[in-house]
Amino acid sequence: MAGMKTASGDYIDSSWELRVFVGEEDPEAESVTLRVTGESHIGGVLLKIVEEINRKQDWSDHAIWWEQKRQWLLQTHWTLDKYGILADARLFFGPQHRPVILRLPNRRALRLHASFSKPLFQAVAAICRLLSIRHPEELSLLRAPEKKKKKKEKEPEEEVYDLTQVVLAGGVAPVLFRGMPAHFSDSAQTEACYHMLSRPQPPPDPLLLQHLPRPSSLVDKTQLHSRWLDSSRCLMQQGVKAGDMLWLRFKYYSFFDLDPKTDPVRLTQLYEQARWDLLLEEIDCTEEEMMVFAALQYHVNKLSQSGEVGEPAGTDPGLDDLDAALSNLEVKLEGSAPTDMLDSLTAIPELKDHLRIFRPRKLTLKGYRQYWVLFKETTLSYYKSQDEAPGDPIQQLNLKGCEVVPDVNVSGQKFCIKLLVPSPEGMSELYLRCQDEQQYARWMAGCRLASKGRTMADSSYASEVQAILAFLSLQRTGGGGSGNHPQGPDASAEGLNPYGLVAPRFQRKFKAKQLTPRILEAHQNVAQLSLTEAQLRFIQAWQSLPDFGISYFMVRFKGSRKDEILGIANNRLIRIDLAVGDVVKTWRFSNMRQWNVNWDIRQVAIEFDEHINVAFSCVSASCRIVHEYIGGYIFLSTRERARGEELDEDLFLQLTGGHEAF
Amino acid sequence: MGESSDDIDQMFSTLLGEMDLLTQSLGVDTLPPPDPKPPRAEFNYSVGFKDLNESLNALEDQDLDALMADLVADISEAEQRTIQAQKESSQNQHHSASTEASNFSGAASLGYGANVTATSVSQYVDDLPPPPADPVLDLPLPPPPPPPEPLSQVTGGATSRASLTGSKLSFPWSGLQLVVKVHMDDNSTKSLMVDERQLARDVLDNLFEKTHCDCNVDWCLYEIYPELQIERFFEDHENVVEVLSDWTRDTENKVLFLEKEEKYAVFKNPQNFYLNNKGKKEGKETNEKMNAKNKESLLEESFCGTSVIVPELEGALYLKEDGKKSWKRRYFLLRASGIYYVPKGKTKTSRDLACFIQFENVNIYYGIQCKMKYKAPTDYCFVLKHPQIQKESQYIKYLCCDDARTLNQWVMGIRIAKYGKTLYDNYQRAMARAGLASRWTSLGTVNAVTPAQPCTGLKTGATQPNGQIPQAVHAASAVLEEAQRQAETAKEKRPAPGNHREPAAPRAHPAPRASLPPPPPVRRSSDTGGSPAPPDDFLPPPPPPPLGDAELPPPPPPELADSPPDFVPPPPPPPVLAGDPGSALPPPPPPPPSLRPECAGPSPTVAKRPPMPPKRHDNPGLPAGGGSGEQDFMSDLMKALQKKRGNMS
Repeated sequence: MAGMKTASGDYIDSSWELRVFVGEEDPEAESVTLRVTGESHIGGVLLKIVEEINRKQDWSDHAIWWEQKRQWLLQTHWTLDKYGILADARLFFGPQHRPVILRLPNRRALRLHASFSKPLFQAVAAICRLLSIRHPEELSLLRAPEKKKKKKEKEPEEEVYDLTQVVLAGGVAPVLFRGMPAHFSDSAQTEACYHMLSRPQPPPDPLLLQHLPRPSSLVDKTQLHSRWLDSSRCLMQQGVKAGDMLWLRFKYYSFFDLDPKTDPVRLTQLYEQARWDLLLEEIDCTEEEMMVFAALQYHVNKLSQSGEVGEPAGTDPGLDDLDAALSNLEVKLEGSAPTDMLDSLTAIPELKDHLRIFRPRKLTLKGYRQYWVLFKETTLSYYKSQDEAPGDPIQQLNLKGCEVVPDVNVSGQKFCIKLLVPSPEGMSELYLRCQDEQQYARWMAGCRLASKGRTMADSSYASEVQAILAFLSLQRTGGGGSGNHPQGPDASAEGLNPYGLVAPRFQRKFKAKQLTPRILEAHQNVAQLSLTEAQLRFIQAWQSLPDFGISYFMVRFKGSRKDEILGIANNRLIRIDLAVGDVVKTWRFSNMRQWNVNWDIRQVAIEFDEHINVAFSCVSASCRIVHEYIGGYIFLSTRERARGEELDEDLFLQLTGGHEAF
Repeated sequence: MGESSDDIDQMFSTLLGEMDLLTQSLGVDTLPPPDPKPPRAEFNYSVGFKDLNESLNALEDQDLDALMADLVADISEAEQRTIQAQKESSQNQHHSASTEASNFSGAASLGYGANVTATSVSQYVDDLPPPPADPVLDLPLPPPPPPPEPLSQVTGGATSRASLTGSKLSFPWSGLQLVVKVHMDDNSTKSLMVDERQLARDVLDNLFEKTHCDCNVDWCLYEIYPELQIERFFEDHENVVEVLSDWTRDTENKVLFLEKEEKYAVFKNPQNFYLNNKGKKEGKETNEKMNAKNKESLLEESFCGTSVIVPELEGALYLKEDGKKSWKRRYFLLRASGIYYVPKGKTKTSRDLACFIQFENVNIYYGIQCKMKYKAPTDYCFVLKHPQIQKESQYIKYLCCDDARTLNQWVMGIRIAKYGKTLYDNYQRAMARAGLASRWTSLGTVNAVTPAQPCTGLKTGATQPNGQIPQAVHAASAVLEEAQRQAETAKEKRPAPGNHREPAAPRAHPAPRASLPPPPPVRRSSDTGGSPAPPDDFLPPPPPPPLGDAELPPPPPPELADSPPDFVPPPPPPPVLAGDPGSALPPPPPPPPSLRPECAGPSPTVAKRPPMPPKRHDNPGLPAGGGSGEQDFMSDLMKALQKKRGNMS
């Protein structure tokens, strides 16, 4: 309709030429020129563009991007006038969904199509739907950190998983097929991708771990949070380009309704994020806690590895871990039966052997002496010799409730078990010294079960023995020989390196052979957990850390002359001294009346009950990120079980969006 | 003593059996069903104690007397009723059998699995034809062994039933039992049987019934170690026998039953533990107030997430040095994983902390008068030790706080770290229990009948037999849900007896039911309109009502029938109504399991009864056959009892 001309060729309808580039923002993109008027609707313009291009293609995902205004023209019934578009507008006719590479919480890279035109909140929801992660409101995207240039060294080509071809049926809840959401089961490639998502990754190479950047102070920890993207604007508006790398992370530490059955991917990714948080020292923990975390990682890794062997490909470890564990156990039982394990597997749960025993006492120089030791049920008795066995033992100890501590040095061929046995008078200490690994493993397993009140008839005995042997071999292959230069994680099936399980500062503090027994010790308390239980336990332990879930920002409080740290957690704001790290003050969200952002002076002002007012300007990140963090937590606290997974997006945007001029 | 106690056990069991029968028969006539709960406790008696810890709890004559007195009182009472009932009820005879059955089944849970139980019962009968009475008299067997045997059969029945119903609680149990002497706050003592499976919560419930206290959440079992001068509460989920088995034979340790507001202080005023910011320290104790809604959300936040939040707690404490009487001041921090301290010259960041102790193998105790005993800087001490340690040892850790508030914060914090959500669950159960109690009281005022307290803990022995089993079942399954519900409602209105939200509506009462025995009785009550027995059924839960205990039992049948249902567990009612006692309730077997042990008689009755006419008569005589047998049995019992008493006195 536009473009009416007179015979002389003059336009008579006040139409003008509009140039539209086809493709993504690319200066050399081809362009088409249309004749339009101010009254032309966007829909009509789109049609014309397609006609003009005259190429057979699915254009349905394409829309017009107005570069100067950084805005998509998505209202097809609006006219050009209404948008205010004139002939000088630089318009790009390009796809709304473009590929990006996501760095997942497990540090794997995944290429997929993300919406560049919808608010990030919706784009993330769509991504999470594709990955089958429930409660996408807890996640968001960050810009990848800029790479330091000195890292020009050859970076190993990393595998990038690809989900760009996958199309998700709209609206319907994902159907499970072969143990995974149906859209993953199309090809071997996507299946592998699902496994990557839903199964824990093996421990990282300790060398890599040492080289990854770690925060050394609170200030460093604020860096991460400056990179969050804005939830209320689209990727395009935030300068993200097709093919860019973005990080997908759990942003809000308030995990709603975590259900191992329905959330295998979510659980696993959460576990991974927690694990990396700990390994990279984003969150601090004590030595004892680290050992528990290491033991859980070891256990999780062992289960997930053996699970792949034991179960048919395609089943979901999250759902079938029990089966996996059982079949795993079976394999082990069969495998070990022919060996000298046999005797310990027979019906009578009893161990008897010559062992050397040492009882530390004050003013005693006596060392280990050989005794005939009988271990039955949960009771350990020892005699001078085998002949005296029917008589009264020198000492008899009920190991129920006792502490069992390994004291092992494989390379030194030292296999001792330290027992701390409680009695009314206190604890009695006793060392058992075994001759070799096999003997040690059997007795150790027996002691451990006995300490929990179980006997060697318990079904877990065999697996316990195996676990101990495995750990010993780990110690042999691991740090035993090469000290500070541990091998990579895939040196051998069981040859896990303990350095891959702990934060680097513990690598410096301990030798691998010191670390291994401690991890083993902690492992005995978790050895019975299934894969998902272990992951869940890991997450819980992570959540129990005092510093859990605090996001740090550098701010300057009104009236203060120095920068301070503001910590935002799911229930409170914390004012922290920058230099010392001490908590100065805590305000809980439940006492919060309102908060405001003055976008002009970039200041956040918060009012609490009892007329407490707090105001600060943000230094390390834009105040919009701080604002969104607070609003996000308020939003998350409004979730209710009854509403299920429905999201009140409007409320979210209302709470987190700003009136900032874009 | 050993022998006599055996005898007594036997007698108890027989008595119980009798009581069952009696109550049941009564129930037909006048009262609704017996209550389940109380029975439980009594039940145990039948089992008989093993000698295991006899030394510990060496039975004293007084104790025995007390136990006996309870029983006898119950019995005589029951007897009277019976006599009355007999007069009235002879007509209904045939009913009785069915009724009994129905009672039991009802109790069990509406009679599903009735068939099964029935079979077991019948077997039982065969095996134990001679009702308990015989065994009692005849079988003075050696103390420990004898009881177990008879019991074992019983147990078997019970277990099978348990599997049917899916409840694990309170079935008669042939395992280890202890007679525990509990010191009350008025310096008196009570002895009660505690079996190997009972948790502190069960024992508390038991004590509530025996003492008519107000059942509030502050009541606790408390262990004190005079020698070490330490003490602590039993957590409600702890297995009492297990704890006691750590005591030595000659121990002076005691178990107390008293109120300690510290027990659940954190749930009443979470802000005192969770919002104790360092910044506020100067604010002293001004932060005491918080509105209920905020408290609730604070609790929810702390206890209902994926993991429990341990209160942030740190500060300087005095630590007693091993083996010395000197105390060193150190800066300690509480974390979920244990207590840590800041080593000299280090900061209190996580990476520098040194682990002082982890909670897996230790319990927390209050230290008493440590100032005197160990020259502690203050008397606000807490102690960590392995539960098995009973004597002074370097493995016991003593810590001393500056003031009482700090002490309470540490003790509570450590308990939260050690027990996690279990603590909250315990509290909710306790609230449910307390809520029930208050409700009952309120009801009592409204309806004199109810207060009958039929159940009142005292009678315990007698009444309970019937309902007992069922209770267990119901209680097990329902308690939790109810507890939650309860807790919610209770929180708001617990104290006010009068206001039930929906006093009339049966729904309102569910909680009571849950915690208490199952309501099976209800139906009967309607059918039979019993007098004395009914109270038991309904009341089991509401022991508290101050009103006359025994006296009230015989509320007007009609009233009972109606009113009870309301408060009582509604669940069973439908079945009840279903039919006239006899026909509808064929599957009453459930009760037998519980009964059997003690009262072989009753169960057999069930099996054979159908034909039998008069309830009462039949009941008593059951096994042996006919009413006459019953009579004999009773008289035998009484003789035995009297003899016993005579001996003692």
